[in-house]
This record gives sequence, structure tokens and C-alpha cells, in this order.
Amino acid sequence: MQNIHLQGTKMATHSVFRDESKLDINYIPQKLPHRETQHRLLSEFFSFILRCPERMAQRVIITGDVGTGKTALAQHFGANITSEANKKGLKFSYVHVNCREFRGSLQPILHRAVTVFRPNYPARGYSAEEILDTLMQVLDEEEATMILALDEFDSLIEKEGSDAVYKLTRLQEIRQGKPQRLSFVFIMRDLKPIEKLDESARSTLQRSIVTLQRYDKLQLIDILTDRVKMAFELGTVPEDLVDLVAELAFSETGNARFGIELLWRAGKYADAEDKGAVQAECVRMAVSSIIPGLRRSELVSLGLHEKLFLLAVARYFKENEEAYVSLSEIEKDYAVACEEFEVTPNSHTQVWNYSQYLAKLGVLRTEVAAAETRGRTTRLSLPSIPAVELEKELSAALRSQRGD
Amino acid sequence: MIYTLGSLNVSDIARRLKMNYASTAEHLQILESEGILLLHTYGRVRMYRFNEGSPRAKAVANLIEVWELKP
Repeated sequence: MQNIHLQGTKMATHSVFRDESKLDINYIPQKLPHRETQHRLLSEFFSFILRCPERMAQRVIITGDVGTGKTALAQHFGANITSEANKKGLKFSYVHVNCREFRGSLQPILHRAVTVFRPNYPARGYSAEEILDTLMQVLDEEEATMILALDEFDSLIEKEGSDAVYKLTRLQEIRQGKPQRLSFVFIMRDLKPIEKLDESARSTLQRSIVTLQRYDKLQLIDILTDRVKMAFELGTVPEDLVDLVAELAFSETGNARFGIELLWRAGKYADAEDKGAVQAECVRMAVSSIIPGLRRSELVSLGLHEKLFLLAVARYFKENEEAYVSLSEIEKDYAVACEEFEVTPNSHTQVWNYSQYLAKLGVLRTEVAAAETRGRTTRLSLPSIPAVELEKELSAALRSQRGD
Repeated sequence: MIYTLGSLNVSDIARRLKMNYASTAEHLQILESEGILLLHTYGRVRMYRFNEGSPRAKAVANLIEVWELKP
């Protein structure tokens, strides 16, 4: 997990975490919500490994944006197929290598695969071709099959180009008549790097593709709710807070990993202040530690009433632990702020305009929800800037504008 | 060392024993001819491993285990 900097930290008396390792980037959950279809498809592509190993080999591409679960899907599938193969007494290995870890260089990537069976195989002094030959020889000796998953495959394409891809994908053709032992899963964000390859290398790749779409907000809520149950103590993360984190993750291209990291950071802020529960302010602090919030220059450029409106929002979230507030509620606080700075408050329509403008700037988020009694209401949230910080900055800016 | 670590290549064994390559290779060839070690060649890489099927190798393994027991 990444480092987090907390000023004046002390250990929480009651941590909000039950098991924070469940929020670690490398943790693979037992079930992957909303990826069941893709998992089944992947299992179908490789079903021959359990039915008739050595008779064929497969090459599958998993593609999808950041945080869409490519790595988790591949590793989850790898664990499942390994367990099924073991039950059947088959000699099978799933090896997952992140190509970027080796700067896209084929030689150490293949070395990693060889060391599964020959842990002391020399790491240096031998070419990628020699190691690939060794890998096939070792698989023959062991009478084993292997799926080699090459994560961030684009870095290998970038570094090694068409030749390396050609070597990997045409391997079985050179070994005609021999058992087919090595299959591949190529994992990449999009298929653009493949377009750079030679026609011959490209044609060997684009056959079986599993595409992962971005998660929508409801899917993210399911994923985050699962993680909250596993990682946090009961009742320490309110439901609307999961909503807020899901919304933030959704706006970050549906990135589930971002949402999970936010949960972890928010939990850390909650523990650092010994709050006993994760609050919306902890999420805001977590966000501001990951992505920059409103820059001071942008704050100065806001109009007087926009500043007053935002001040009302900041004060509301500073005083209240909810993640959302209705526009009508903020309007009252806005009127109080106007009185404080001796300004006449503007009309409801104008206030609504301020909320829309600030949402466009990315300072606020707005959504239309059903009102408690009848009709619809605009709900506001302050996702990425700590309310305490924002109030401080706005009060200072307004006082200076008034000439204090 | 080979008994404990599994298969190793000649250079690795030489480095661990702080011996030169030629002497190491010579000793390994003798152990191989006595059936105590097995040689596997992967292209230019020559890796030796313990011959678990050989009675002589088993006797050597027993000796190592007894030797390493604390008195």
C-alpha cells in the first residue's frame, strides 16, 4: 500500500479496520462482482486444459480501462483453474507476470516462468530465445502445461516489438507434432499497441478477446460494499459514504481500484483522528491527498455570491457528518453567510446557478433526487476538498475582499 | 549444496563454493559418473541435480542428514 502522510498521528484506540489487507491492491477477493460473464468466457476459452491438455494452446487478450478488474479477473481465473487442475491430478501452472515490472523486457519475464519449475535457473547470460527453449524443455520434462499471463503487455510490445510477440505466439507452430504446453493471457488497457505490430504478429493475437467495460456507479457500490464488509468493523462505514466513494470512483473512469484505495485512505484518516467511524470529511481528505482539489487561484476568481454559497456548503459539511445535503438546506446557510458579510442573498434560481457552476469546476457534485415529500430536489456533495480547509480559505478570501 | 537447493548450474555451484569453473565442473562430472548427480542440459545451461533414484545418492543423503544432526 502507498504511504500516507498524517500530521500529528497517534494510534487509534479503536481502529475502524477489521482487516485492512482486504483493501490492498494485491488482494484478490473470492468472488468478483459483475465480472461473472467474463470469468465464464475465460474459462470456456481454456476449458481444454482440464479436458484434453497438451492437445491445443490458446492465446487470449483481456482488455479494459484502468480499474476495470483485468488483473483481478486473470488472477481469479488462474487460481480457479489451478485448483480444478489439481483436483484432476493434472500438472498445471498459472504464472502471472507484470511486464512493466521488468520494463517490458522479454528475457526476465520468461526467466520468471522457468523458475516456477527450476528455481535456480541462471538469471543472466542467456537470451530470451534460449530461455524460451528452456521453458518448453522443462514443461516437456515435467509433462506440465502452463498459462503465462502477461500483464501490462503493452510495455513488452513497446520494448521488444513485433519479433518478441511473434516468437511467443508462433511457438507451437515450430513445435509441430509435440504436445502443446504453453498458453497465454495478454492483459492490456486497449488494443492500440497491437496496431503497431507487423501484420504477421498481429494476426496471431487478435482472436479471443475478453473486453471489460467500465463499472457503473451501482456496480461500484456493490464492489465497495463487499470490501467494506471484509475490511471494516461493522457500522464504521455508513451506506451513504459508500455511495460517495462509488461516485468518485465512477467519475475516475469507473475505476474500482481508486475507490478501494479511497476507502483505505479514508479509514486511515478516521483512525488518525480516532473518530471511531469513517466520515465524509475523511473521504474528502483522502481525495485531496490523491488528486488536487480546488486551486487557490480558482477560489480567488469566484464571484462574491459563489464564494458565499461555497462557504455555506463548506460550513454545512464541516458541522455535519452526512455525505449529501439538499440545495434548499444550503440556501438557508447561504442566507446566514450573506448576513454575516452584509450582502443581500440572491434568488433561488441564482443559487441553483452557483451550484451548477461549481459542479462544472469540479468543486461540488450535484445530482437530482426524489424529494422527501413530493417533486425533486438537487443534492450536493463536496467530494474532493476537506470542508475545514475550504471554509478557512473562503473566509480569508471573503474578509480580504471586504477589506478587513 | 545440491541436495539442499535442488538443481544448480555449474557457474552457480562454483560461485557458491568459491572455486574456479574448471575444477567445479571436474568434480561434478565425477559425481555424475558415480550416479550421485544427474545432468540436465538446457541449451548452453548445464544444471546438476541430486539423483534421488540412486542407492549411492541415498547413502550420501543419509550421511548428510546424520552429519547435520546436532550431537
